[in-house]
Amino acid sequence: MNVLEIHNLTKKFGDFIAVDNITLNVREGEIFGFLGANGAGKSTTINMICSLLRSTKGEISLLGRTIATNVKFAKMNTGIVPQDISIYENMTAYENVSFFAGLYGLRGTLLKERTEEALEFVGLADKHKSFPKNFSGGMKRRLNIACAIAHRPKLIIMDEPTVGIDPQSRNYILNSVKKLNQMGCTIIYTSHYMEEVEEICTQIAIIDHGKIIAEGTKEQLKAIITDTKDIWIGIKAADTLPIDQLKQIQGVMTVRHEENTIKINSKGEVNNLNLIIQQLIKDDVEIRSVEEQAPNLETVFLTLTGRNLRD
Amino acid sequence: MNILNIAMKEMKSSLREPRTFLFMMAFPIVLMLILGTALSNAFSSSTLVGDLKLLYNNQADNKQLIQAWQIFSTEIEQQGIIITPLSSTEANGVEDISNNKYAAYVELSNEGLKYYGSSKRMIESNIIQGMLTAFADRYNLATSTLTVDPSKAEAILGNTDWKDDLIHETSLDPNKTPGSIDYYAIAMTTMIALYASLSGIYLFRGERTRNTAIRLMASPASKGELFTGKVLACTITNLLFVLIVVLFSKFAFKAYWGDHYGMVFLVLASEVILSVSLGLGLSYLFKGETARSIVMIFTQIASFVGGAYSPIQDTESFMGFITNLSPIGWANKALMNIIYADDLIAALPVIGVNLAFATTFLVISNVIMRKREAI
Repeated sequence: MNVLEIHNLTKKFGDFIAVDNITLNVREGEIFGFLGANGAGKSTTINMICSLLRSTKGEISLLGRTIATNVKFAKMNTGIVPQDISIYENMTAYENVSFFAGLYGLRGTLLKERTEEALEFVGLADKHKSFPKNFSGGMKRRLNIACAIAHRPKLIIMDEPTVGIDPQSRNYILNSVKKLNQMGCTIIYTSHYMEEVEEICTQIAIIDHGKIIAEGTKEQLKAIITDTKDIWIGIKAADTLPIDQLKQIQGVMTVRHEENTIKINSKGEVNNLNLIIQQLIKDDVEIRSVEEQAPNLETVFLTLTGRNLRD
Repeated sequence: MNILNIAMKEMKSSLREPRTFLFMMAFPIVLMLILGTALSNAFSSSTLVGDLKLLYNNQADNKQLIQAWQIFSTEIEQQGIIITPLSSTEANGVEDISNNKYAAYVELSNEGLKYYGSSKRMIESNIIQGMLTAFADRYNLATSTLTVDPSKAEAILGNTDWKDDLIHETSLDPNKTPGSIDYYAIAMTTMIALYASLSGIYLFRGERTRNTAIRLMASPASKGELFTGKVLACTITNLLFVLIVVLFSKFAFKAYWGDHYGMVFLVLASEVILSVSLGLGLSYLFKGETARSIVMIFTQIASFVGGAYSPIQDTESFMGFITNLSPIGWANKALMNIIYADDLIAALPVIGVNLAFATTFLVISNVIMRKREAI
């Protein structure tokens, strides 16, 4: 069963087309990864799903009902974890969750129970009387999630819920997402961290310039680019790197430099590793390691969009 | 129910903001105290009278006049007048008056009294002049009576009760006039009520900058519920601040607020509603910090011309006209009339104007908010 169905959805801001005739289905029980670089149309789509923006054209249905004519129903069954932390700093963790849950019609004992449950879920039960201004970034992110789940929505939209937090908090949140999914929630998850998406998402769609350019499981997406290979070369820190020269080598498609690694995506059938190493030696780059990687989602994204996810 | 939930959250949130407390309560109370104390003289209706010093030169040899003068001078000395005879070294009494040594100088001769009053000590010299006039009248009466019935003339001059009739004091001042603390209690309260417009600006803008607007809009609460709940809470919170300032001024500074508390409350409430609506309207009409700047400039000018810092006396002048354009000015005027003239009708036009403007701004904000996709 499809929890969410999007048909020919378009959103224009003046002449600018932010979302261009997209069609998507999110099935019940999925963790749906929605990927796109900044400005690709991801947030606009999410805002339309949450009834925050009206579509220019097309239709969105939630649990079989068109949201344009069933706004309250759609909102009651949707929970949003916004990209920016949206909580009140001068209200306790309990008051924050309770207030937002109250807007969904929860009252009295039920409200109390669900608030406590949500705080327990994100590991903030012992901090329920504390004010978020005293919380770490990770704790704020967790409270941000608690505010979205207390009313037990069928669909939870998480817009980059792990931005700017420590690895421990990130793991906690990723485990929470998996747990929510096991509890029956369908989740739409966006992130700039491809490894997160690879770890938790069962279905993925990539949006670029307002259009869905690829959709499928991780394996299906990786299969799109079987004709390429990734070469990761570990190097000693260097002031300048011959990036442009490397791009000139036959078969090389993209070259990225991340910390002490040069990540090269190259055509699979071209044997060019010796040329790459020769170029680096010529430019006095000290090589520490050379690995040939199987294609991952990051490569898929880069190949399809020509952009890094963090661009 | 959502309206109540939103309103409660809003009030809780505002009351926990220390800066709001400081600004809305400490600021007017401190200003009230400073201005009320520093400018207390400007509001005082009493005048301090210095020593009443009378210099006299007795050149008369008329026995009756000398006797009458002695009785008179003994009596007025007992009333605190310092009477000094012109010594032989002091050649010129008039010169002493010019030099401000005495409030008055009088020369007694057989022809009568010659009085010189100090222009530098007008009040003192007028008092002494009044006494001397009474004395002269009494003496003239006695000398006239002497020709008819000498025994009665003596009784007139020897009557020591006359001291009570020398000056009869009558005040034209009404009993109820505001002292400096009374005035500034009203002025600061109406001023701080106008500052509620700052809260109005951040009513929805605050949600946008805090990123909570997205969560509110994604919830099933309607825009109407959000609008009503927030405006209601902002009005109640600011009215609460205003009432605390009123009560503090009443009980801590003993400021006079009259007997018509209900009407005073209504005027202040209407001003708070106007202010919140003004801030809210401007936040929808202008982007960024422009609304805040407009409100800051407007409230400062309105405070100044509305008499928040110093009373505007001349209501007929151009300044008086400008005062009438300030919400603080018209609220102050209405409150003065209610408190000091028991004129309850004075409240009605002010409440009417405040609510009319408030309605206009609320309608503008609501229409713009509904047109927008977000809040």
